[in-house]
Amino acid sequence: MSLLQVQQLTIRFGGLTAVSQVTFDIAPGQLFGLIGPNGAGKTTCFNMITGVYKPTSGSIRFDGKAITGTPCNRIAGLGIARTFQNIRLFPALSVLENVVVGGFLRHKTTLTSSLAYLPSAIRETDAMKADAMKLLEVLDLQDVAHVRSADLPYGKQRRLEIARAMATQPKLLLLDEPAAGMNPNEKVDLMNAVKRLRDEHGKTVLVIEHDMRFVMNLCEQIFVLDHGEEIAQGPPEQIRNDPKVIAAYLGTPV
Amino acid sequence: MFWPKRIASIAIGIGACFLIQAVAGKMFDFYGLRLVALAGLYVTLAVSLNLINGITGQFSIGHAAFYQIGAYFTGYLSIHYFAAGAGKVGGPVVWLIAMMIVGALGATIAGFVVGLPSLRLRGDYLAIVTLGFGEILRIIVQNQEALGGAYAMKDIPTIQSLWLVWALAFLCIAVCRNLLKTARGLTFVAVREDEVASAAMGVDVTKVKITAFMVGSAFAGAAGALLAHYEGLITPQTFAMDVSFIILTMVVLGGTGSITGSVVAAIFLSYLPEYLRNLKAPDGGTLYVTGATCLQWMLTIFAAVVLIRWISRSLQFPLVQRLGLYAAAVVGALVIGKLLGFGVNLISGLAAIQIDAGQLRMAIFAVALISVMLIRPQGIFAHHELSLTWLRGLVSRKRPAEVSA
Amino acid sequence: MGHGVELLAALNLRTLPEQLANGIFLGAIYALIALGYTMVYGILRLINFAHGEVYMLGAYVSLFASRMLGFGPTSNKTDSSVVNLLIMLTASMIVCACVGVIIERFAYRPMRAHSRIASLITAIGVSLLLQYGGALFLPSSPPPSINEKVIPPVYRESSRIVLQAPPAELQRDLDSTQTIYLDAKKKYDFYMSTHQGVGEFDLAPDGQALHDKYKASLAPFNAAQAKADERSVVITVRHADIIILVTSVVLMGVLTYLVMFTKSGRAMRAVSHDFDSAALMGVNVNNTITFTFVLGSALAGAGSMMQATLKGPPLTTFFGFTPGVKAFVAAVLGGIGNIPGAVLGGLLMGVAEDFVIWLGYSNYSDAIAFVILIIVLLFRPGGILGSSKVEKV
Repeated sequence: MSLLQVQQLTIRFGGLTAVSQVTFDIAPGQLFGLIGPNGAGKTTCFNMITGVYKPTSGSIRFDGKAITGTPCNRIAGLGIARTFQNIRLFPALSVLENVVVGGFLRHKTTLTSSLAYLPSAIRETDAMKADAMKLLEVLDLQDVAHVRSADLPYGKQRRLEIARAMATQPKLLLLDEPAAGMNPNEKVDLMNAVKRLRDEHGKTVLVIEHDMRFVMNLCEQIFVLDHGEEIAQGPPEQIRNDPKVIAAYLGTPV
Repeated sequence: MFWPKRIASIAIGIGACFLIQAVAGKMFDFYGLRLVALAGLYVTLAVSLNLINGITGQFSIGHAAFYQIGAYFTGYLSIHYFAAGAGKVGGPVVWLIAMMIVGALGATIAGFVVGLPSLRLRGDYLAIVTLGFGEILRIIVQNQEALGGAYAMKDIPTIQSLWLVWALAFLCIAVCRNLLKTARGLTFVAVREDEVASAAMGVDVTKVKITAFMVGSAFAGAAGALLAHYEGLITPQTFAMDVSFIILTMVVLGGTGSITGSVVAAIFLSYLPEYLRNLKAPDGGTLYVTGATCLQWMLTIFAAVVLIRWISRSLQFPLVQRLGLYAAAVVGALVIGKLLGFGVNLISGLAAIQIDAGQLRMAIFAVALISVMLIRPQGIFAHHELSLTWLRGLVSRKRPAEVSA
Repeated sequence: MGHGVELLAALNLRTLPEQLANGIFLGAIYALIALGYTMVYGILRLINFAHGEVYMLGAYVSLFASRMLGFGPTSNKTDSSVVNLLIMLTASMIVCACVGVIIERFAYRPMRAHSRIASLITAIGVSLLLQYGGALFLPSSPPPSINEKVIPPVYRESSRIVLQAPPAELQRDLDSTQTIYLDAKKKYDFYMSTHQGVGEFDLAPDGQALHDKYKASLAPFNAAQAKADERSVVITVRHADIIILVTSVVLMGVLTYLVMFTKSGRAMRAVSHDFDSAALMGVNVNNTITFTFVLGSALAGAGSMMQATLKGPPLTTFFGFTPGVKAFVAAVLGGIGNIPGAVLGGLLMGVAEDFVIWLGYSNYSDAIAFVILIIVLLFRPGGILGSSKVEKV
């Protein structure tokens, strides 16, 4: 029973077909990679899954339910969280506060208790801060918890985005180029962190990436997209040797 | 342990309001008392606008509309029902508190209506729409004979309760402060920082924006009720677009997002024009300045702004040296102004124009607004707050993130 | 609903064409101002809040120019010519262009790096400064107006354009009474001009006879005129309004030429499309922006000169605010950033305002402008000639 089922997903912008007939399944607990050259339509697929765009045709099923066209602020509630290609943190908030915002969804406070700063709001806020701290530890950010997120180095900002997404308690985590701009050491750390998210926290992960080595080492199933269409799908060894994939990427030895 | 502490702090707050009333009553005459009241009202207005603009990042520049709704709505009710009702509820002050609540409710409905466009419009368009709502309201009110038309709604029973004015101000500050201390408040700031990311994290962006408008407008409405009963008389002119701009200047000068900044700027800017108006000439009469002098001051300020901008942009110095350079820039501007003054005084027409200090009020606001935007657009306090944590931070050299301070 | 029907029944539909014409004349001025808003927005995405005040300054420049030409409030000159008007027009356009450039250079350019709301707040500040600061220096109480004697006499007259002639008998009556009237008037005027110094009340018998005949012919003529008017459609058009329309059209033509066929105009269009690409293509962005402000402010100056001179309203430093708002709404209505849109929007706003006044709701004419603005921004922010897409945040 797949967690995410994408069928014949297509979107057209005016005369341009950005994504065409994309179909794949992601099993629960899988580490799934979505790769392809620049402009292939990878982020567009993400945007359709997360409700930023409405597909022209095709369907998306998550956890058995159809979610095609669900508006983006309801997606997190359903259990899908994402990070962004160009990091979108809350710059004025601290690292901890960024994650707390992510966790807000899963906690209940009323407006009045917040405005009046009643004990229930204080309790919930403290609980959220504690939960956020735990997530920071998962991603090794606990030392910078009170630093303004805009002041963080790039690699830590990316990890923060993941921590924040984790705070929404998703079943499926969508990471949009999480390794971009990182040096090889940081990439290894990130890879291990993502594996831990699956192994220790049961998350299913869908990753868009350019770095072939990263994807090949991390993902169990890979979908290759070019010009909005599937050109290959399968485990890393199969993709690695697929001539179409090699041609699309102009041959990147892995 | 919570409730005793909370009740104690409320008691201290209200006590402080009574203290303000007592001290002001001793120190000031009727006119001065009114000024203290106006300052308190402006504090409420500025802090409530800051909730919408600074904290939630929505640009509402028609805030006077909510002020007006509170004032006219409760003024009307009081004219017709005060005589009958005041006794029943327990006296004028209780009536006034009831009117504050009524005013807040009326204004909050308007806040909902005005907040709806914010869901589809961005920045400057939203600003113009909020301005438009304010003007439409003002014009409609102006044309209702039942509300006094273009002249005035008068004979509102006067209940001049200074402590209540400041109690509202304290309440407004407290509520905003409370919000920011909770996780919910963080979602407001998150919406300001990045709506798309907020939505992706499951924050109900619509609800946040509308809530900000409704809470902000509620306080403005309550302030309006207080104004109407303090003055006994309100006119549509009291709520002209200029008032919205004055409140906006206070928020911008203080620092969008900083409650402390709004409070300080509101007190300062509501006092400044009155201070000027009360300046007397050496012989005790009204102080006049000539048109030439005015122009000279404007040119001086202009020169100062240009110089300070130049320093902050092109020269990278540490803070202390920069402050020294700014001081030098101000001195330089004064010199330039003096020199230009000689030339300006030669223009005959200008030297002859007599301007009394009271007329300078809006011009000063305008100059203040432009200068802040050119020199330090984030405002004096930027996003900082005066708080115990911050003071501790000053002392201990550690820098906590500002919002949670 | 019943009220509306009553309203329509009370309207004199015969006056509709004239109202429409008045609306177009009003709209021409709005169009001139709206062009400034739309060009600046197109290129900087900035709502130039201070544009209405630039317009206001143009009116004051025209005032001072008229005084310097000898037509101050106490002047006795009666012989003005088109040259005077042209001098005032040029002065107004040049000064407004300069003011616009100064505002751009010192208030808007520093804000370009900041958010758009920061620019908007700065623009509000400049607007307030010009209104209230100006009130300190410029004469505004009592509000002065431009002496109408600076307008050459022929422009102060009106013409009647008959769209639908009255029935034949009424026309005959009109013609005959008019002939009698004109004849009597001519004789009387000739008599008075050859008898200098004689007042109307101490005439000699022959002069008295001419006077009485003149006066007697007036009433039947007016009555015949009224009867004919009831059965015809006539527009009374002031020559001044025609001048406004013609000048506006000429200026818009010049603008179109400049924007479509010159290098600077092409640069403007390029920068409107894409700021950064244009810069990469070698366009001097700062100069192009300056050029935009020059054009927009000059047009506003032309508009205010014509409005202030030919319509003679009292001037205060707050005189530009309301037209500024209405012109801004016009620009948005037509499609902000779109030059033909500004013209269309201006005409529509002029007609709409006139219509509102005609219906008897003149108190609400300002509010109507804001209502139109809100409706357009909420439902079709691109305006009539723009796209219908609501831009996502």
